[in-house]
Formats: sequence, structure tokens, C-alpha cells
Amino acid sequence: MAAKPATKTKLPKQPSSPRTLARPNGGDAASLAEAVNAFAKGKLDVIIKPQDYSDPGLRLIAEALQGAGQGIGTQLKEFNERVKNVSQGVDEAIEALIRLVVQGDLSGELRLAVTDSALTPLIAGIAQVMETLKRFVTEIREAALQLSTSSAEVLAAATQNESSTAAQASAIHETTATMEELKGASHQIAENAQMVAAIAEQTLIGARAGEGSIKAFMASMEKVRHNAVEVDEAIGKLSKRVERIGTVVEVIDEIADRSDLLALNAALEGAKAGEAGRGFSIVAAEMRRLAENVMESTKEIKNLITEIRESTHSAKEASDGNKREASEGEKLGGAAIQSVSGILSGIQETSDAARVIHLATQQQRTATEQVVLSMSEIEEVTRSAQSGSRQATGAASELTKLAERLAELVKRFKID
Amino acid sequence: MNEHVNELLMFQIGARVFASTVRDVVRIGNVAEAAPGTLIEGTSLGATFARERGVVVAGEAAGTEATLVVDQVLGVRSVPDSQLLPLPAFVTAVIPASAVSGLVLLEDAPTLVVDLPALVRERLAAPPAHPPPPHATA
Repeated sequence: MAAKPATKTKLPKQPSSPRTLARPNGGDAASLAEAVNAFAKGKLDVIIKPQDYSDPGLRLIAEALQGAGQGIGTQLKEFNERVKNVSQGVDEAIEALIRLVVQGDLSGELRLAVTDSALTPLIAGIAQVMETLKRFVTEIREAALQLSTSSAEVLAAATQNESSTAAQASAIHETTATMEELKGASHQIAENAQMVAAIAEQTLIGARAGEGSIKAFMASMEKVRHNAVEVDEAIGKLSKRVERIGTVVEVIDEIADRSDLLALNAALEGAKAGEAGRGFSIVAAEMRRLAENVMESTKEIKNLITEIRESTHSAKEASDGNKREASEGEKLGGAAIQSVSGILSGIQETSDAARVIHLATQQQRTATEQVVLSMSEIEEVTRSAQSGSRQATGAASELTKLAERLAELVKRFKID
Repeated sequence: MNEHVNELLMFQIGARVFASTVRDVVRIGNVAEAAPGTLIEGTSLGATFARERGVVVAGEAAGTEATLVVDQVLGVRSVPDSQLLPLPAFVTAVIPASAVSGLVLLEDAPTLVVDLPALVRERLAAPPAHPPPPHATA
């Protein structure tokens, strides 16, 4: 690698041509001191001529000064030369570094046109810097690759997150709307449940009244049945007495029939007796008339008894029917009481259930309102999250681009 | 001069009323109390329906009786001879019974006079013209 000095390094001024101290009186101590002072000030071009000093001591000093000046000049010349070389090497190294950095080629080694031991640490340091740069570039390349991959993943994740957040926001919005509807429905259910409870209460009162009426009806039925039994017994007694009357009337009728027969035979005998039996015949005819009256009366009584029998039979049937109907009414009343008891129990349960539903729906309504409130807050947070996701997606996209850009930049460094 | 008076027993068989002289009647009895085999019914006088009474008549043999089953015995009436009339010829042709001996006018209505002994004879000589009702064999 060729190195070319880029800048001029200011070196100590080197005596170009010796300067002779012009002393009119020559070789004295003062001129010698002047020369020493000039040396001290860095003016090495002062020419000391020892032969000009007549004093041997001063001459010796002049000779020593002359030698020292010559030695210092030589050394200074060498020093300047070395400084020039080192400066050139530094320039070359800096130029080479700049070029390396500009070109991004870290694959080679630093070679300088000049060699100097003083440049060794610089070269070593530059080499170390290059190695460090190589390592950095390698690591940056790997990091850029990982960054690119990660940023792509982040972008994908952010995009998905944005999509999910949007879907979530939509779902939350719908859920909020649904919860609003649910709140309204809960309100409606609570009102309906309250109405059901009120109706059930009224029905309960009505059913209890119905139960009382049925019990009164059953008491009436029992009384009817009891009365029917009494009527039945009375009809039985009446029937027996009518039968007894019938028997008596039969006897009377039989007697009347026999009386009629006797009267007929008496009239017959009276008629057979002729005029003597006339009165007898008249009495017999009267007896017969009485007997016929009795028979007519017994016939009427029989008819009446028959009518009474028929009426009694009808009354007995009606009484039996009343007993059956009363018994059936009692059974129906019992069944109605059981039904009403079941209805009362059911209505009571319905009323209790309606109250429980009313309370539950009120609690549900309160909870739903809280949920609606929370959902609104969640929706707000989700909107913020959606906005954040959008920003994150934009940032991830930007990051991906930057990662790609970084990868492109890193690719410019050649390390192999 | 007093007109002779006839004592007639009035009885009813079916819807018709008949008369008979009391001398032919032994007594009036109950059909239910009559001895079995002595009842006479289903004669040419007509069918009975009530069978309440029996007109007991002396039988052909001495000491025997026969009972004519009638529905009702109406009583005894005294009828003068002037009200007793012979049976007209055309009636004889209409009524087959030979036991009808004449007519009697009661309230200007003709009533057949029955000769009970002849009826008994007629009935015993011939089978019954009208079968007795089912309850007649009590």
C-alpha cells in the first residue's frame, strides 16, 4: 500500500547557511556569550571561528561551542528527517484508513511506504482498529440480518396485532351494542317479571277466594246430600205409610165388595120374596149404594195412592239423584279443592319465581350496565390500542426498511 | 087392577146389559171363590173383561150349581109385564143364542132377557164360542 503525504508537517528550522558573527573588535568573551545566547534561542547558524579568539580559554570554549553546534545541527537534521518520515507514514496510515473506511474494504492489511519504528504502534493500532471494525461489521451484519428478520417478524406481528385489534375493536363494539340491547331486554324482563308477579298475586287472591267458594260449595253439597238423605228417609216412611194405607184401602175395598155382594144377594132374596121382601130389597139397595160409594171412594183412594206411589217413586228417584249429584258434587269439589290447592301452590311458586326473576333481572340490569360501562372503557382502550397498533405497524414497517437499509449499508463493508 | 111385576136381575157382560129373572138365580158370588169347573163364560152373550161377579145358577143335576161369569151385577129391577116383550123374528135370526127369551124395555131401551138355565144347558152342550181370557182359569 503506497502512502503519500497529505499535509506538510512543520519541522524545526534547519540552518541553511552559517552566519558569522561580525565583531569589529573580534574574539572576545562578549561575542562568545552572544553566540551561546543564540544557541540557547535555537539559532544554530551562528559561525564561531575559534581562531578569532586570541584568548586560549575563549578559543577552547569557542571550539567546544563550534563542535556542539555542528553536532546539534547534525542531530537536528536527522531528527527532522525522521519526523518527516514519521509524518509521511502517519499521513499514509490516515489516508489508508480513510480509504478503507470510504471503500469499506476491511479484508486487506495496512502497508505503508515508509518504515519507522515509531509507526509500529500506529500500524498495530490501526490493524487492531481494523480487526475491531471487521468484528463490528461482522456483528453488525449479523445483527442487521437478525434485525431484518426480527423487524419482519415484528412487522408481521404488528400487522396481525393491528388486524386483531381492529377485529377486537369491532367485536367489542358489537358486544357493547349487544350488551346495550341486553340491558334493554333486562329492563323489559324486569318489568315483565314485576307484572307477572303482580298478576300472580292477584291470581293468588282470586284463587284463594275460589278455594273459599269451593269449600262453601262443598259445605252446601254436604248439606244437600244430608237433606237428600233426610228426604229419602221421609220418602221411605211416606212410602211405607202409603203402602199401609193401600193395604187398609184394600181391606176396605174387600169389605165394600163383600158388602156389595151381600147387598146384591139381599136384594135378590128380597125380589124372590115378592111383595114381602120389598122393604128388604130397598134396604139392600141402599146398602149396595153405600158399598158402591165406598168402593168408589176406595177406587179414588187407590188412584190417589197410585199417584202418590208414582210421585213418591219420582221423589225417591229425584232424591237418589240429588244424593248422587251431591256426592258427585262433593267429589268434584274435592277434586276442585285439590286442583285449586295445586293452582295456589303453582301460583305461589310462580309469584315467588317472578319476584326472584325480577330481583335477578334487576341485578342483571345493574351488572349489564356495569358491563356496558366497562365495555365502553374497553372499547376506548381498544381504540387507543388500535391506534397504537397502527403506529406500531408503521414503526415496524419503518424499522424493517431501516433494517434493510442497514443490511445494505453493512454489505458495503468487505471483510473476507 | 095391579099389573104383575117381574123381578129381573140386571148384569153386564162386556159392554152389553142383560136381564134375567131372579127365580133362576141361586145367589150372587165372587168368581174367585167359585169351585173349579163350575164357571161358565165365553158364551154367546159375549166376552167378559172384569170378571168381578158370578151369577150362580142351579145345575141340571140336583144339587149342582153353575156360575155364569159376568163383569158386573147391576142390581134388581121390578118390571111390569107390559115391558116384557117377545123376541122379534129378525132378532132370532141375528142372535144365535137360544137362551135369549125376550126383551124388556128399560127407559125405552130394549134389553135382552136371558134364560139362565137354558144358557147353562146350551153352554154345557157346546164348546165355548169365545175362548176365555188367560186370567179366567183362576
